[in-house]
Amino acid sequence: MKLLVELSNKNNLNLNCTGFILPLKDYSVESTISFTIEEIENIINKYNKEIFIKINKNLFNKDISIIKDILIKLDKLNVKGIFFYDLAILQLVKELNLDIDLIWNQTHMVNNYKTCNYYYSKGVKYALLGKELTLNEIKEIIKLSKINCMVEVISKPSVAVSHRRLITNYFQALGKNSTDKLQVMEKISNLKFNLIENNNDTSFFLDTITNGTSIIKDLYVVNCPYIIIREYGIGNFRELISDTMKYISNGCIDNCYIKKYEKLGDSTNFFFKKTIYKVK
Amino acid sequence: MTKKIELLSPAGDLERLKVTLLYGADAVYIGGKKYSLRANSTNFSIDEIRQGCDFAHKLGKKVHLTLNIVFHNEDMEGVEEYIKEVVEAGIDAFIVSDPFIISYIKKNYPNVEVHLSTQNSTTNYKAIEFFENEGIDRVVLARELSKDEISYIIKNTNVAIEVFIHGAMCTCFSGRCALSNYVTNRDANRGGCAQVCRFAFNVENEKDFTMATKDMNMSHYIGTLIDMGVTSMKVEGRMRSLYYLATVIGTYRNIIDDYYNKTLTEDKMQIYEERLSRVANRETSTHYFLKEADYTDQYYTGRVEVSNQDYLGQVISYDKEKRLLKFIERNYFEVGDIIEVFTPSGNHLKFSLEKLYDDQMNSIPVARHPDNIYYLELDTLIDIEEYSMIKIISRRKDNE
Repeated sequence: MKLLVELSNKNNLNLNCTGFILPLKDYSVESTISFTIEEIENIINKYNKEIFIKINKNLFNKDISIIKDILIKLDKLNVKGIFFYDLAILQLVKELNLDIDLIWNQTHMVNNYKTCNYYYSKGVKYALLGKELTLNEIKEIIKLSKINCMVEVISKPSVAVSHRRLITNYFQALGKNSTDKLQVMEKISNLKFNLIENNNDTSFFLDTITNGTSIIKDLYVVNCPYIIIREYGIGNFRELISDTMKYISNGCIDNCYIKKYEKLGDSTNFFFKKTIYKVK
Repeated sequence: MTKKIELLSPAGDLERLKVTLLYGADAVYIGGKKYSLRANSTNFSIDEIRQGCDFAHKLGKKVHLTLNIVFHNEDMEGVEEYIKEVVEAGIDAFIVSDPFIISYIKKNYPNVEVHLSTQNSTTNYKAIEFFENEGIDRVVLARELSKDEISYIIKNTNVAIEVFIHGAMCTCFSGRCALSNYVTNRDANRGGCAQVCRFAFNVENEKDFTMATKDMNMSHYIGTLIDMGVTSMKVEGRMRSLYYLATVIGTYRNIIDDYYNKTLTEDKMQIYEERLSRVANRETSTHYFLKEADYTDQYYTGRVEVSNQDYLGQVISYDKEKRLLKFIERNYFEVGDIIEVFTPSGNHLKFSLEKLYDDQMNSIPVARHPDNIYYLELDTLIDIEEYSMIKIISRRKDNE
């Protein structure tokens, strides 16, 4: 099992992990930092890591020709794969006959094995599974689909994206200067959300760390190819990554790892909790 | 000759299906008991789907079925049998978001149309090309698109294009929001959305943060959409009332027909706008159609949602010889009120209410019990069909 990291600090590129997910500047959301093509090229040359690029914005007509050029450039670099949300990317990769692997990354939609198999049949090699799945659902998808699954195990999860500049609009309505970040708290659940505005979109992150350390072993046992940890909002990150690499390298048998990282909190997101949709 | 644009109405149950088709919808979209994004709407049993399809087809109209949840493993169980059942019940099109389901339907039921749900938030022509290759017949575009972007898509793709024209909006991209899952544990993408985007949030040392959107109202741009080559115009609201749907669908029917007949004047538009505004419970906007959506398209503090009391009753029958209208009451009214009866065939008849009777034909001054049957005398020889609606124009006390 391999460990991918999505950073929120560009100084952490020397971490001990399998690879990085680098959000592409101007074309990624649900990320706190992004990278230009030039930066990506430098990172590929400098670090011996698997490099995945995230292009997960909803694309508009005007973006297509630019994205086409970007894909051609990325195809020439030693990029391991591209996380995509918009199906224009899948269509372009097919049309251009590019030799670059794709990761189906439609955040809240990657939820069943049949659709994973469908995308696999379309040439998509990987899928980042939805964060609203139970562990049992994840294991079932890994078992029943041909696609290579990725599971985000530790992060402050991204929960929504709006094409509205919600922070700007809020401060404009108040007659005040805006910022690009805002924390809000839902009044009944007391859940806090961090809003980040960029590229005319607003991304929502839950301000609670999903602590999936306890499921890493389960994923290891079912041969999950990749787990993902995101840096945003997590302290002592270097140590966490180092320990996690050791844990999975040693076959996930060291219970001290689980104990040590109880400090990340007790939220296991939906791993052990099903969502409902009928309220009657 | 170019095909006339389709007016597509929501229908949360069989009665709404009938009413909206009678009021001028060319097609309805409905949800079954399973796999629909309005899990808490009444929705249709297989038998009701069959009845609805029969009713629609006799009028030369169509029924689209939503099958647009984001499927989990467990939801896949039984879906193939369900698809078979609803196809046999007579549906004309599926509205789907999951590409596996799209490919399954196109492979097994090639004569049934498949429409890509707005849940996919399709925002560009290249993504549509992908679905064209998968055999999709129609794409319901994302609501985040401008006029120019829609126009470009229509010119550069070969599938039918459907756009929303009226009703509530999501704050986030459809399908790209799980706020409901996290705040309420109700799955937004399987029909349980709790509309968390309409909640108020605390912000430290500032006023509450809200992000609720105003509703969409494209009534002034119907001609533009027709000229652009849009295939279908969709009204939001499977959980809306009969009265709301009758008013909104009837009004858009008028606007569309007047536009094609070149009889849509500013005076008429004012009347139509007034009708739509009377049933609106929020302010409206065209959102992204003319500009980037901004703070004027949202609500902040002081938002008021108006509960409408205009709707007085629903007509059961009209006896032209006795000039007696039988109806079921919805809101209080009394002798002396000025009322309007509007019919599925498009008549709007104004009356001063002079004689009112209870279900035993006792003369009464006031109808004060919703859901009770009442009669009123009207002086008209015009047909007033079942499902005509009665609304208040002005109250007696205001007329005195």
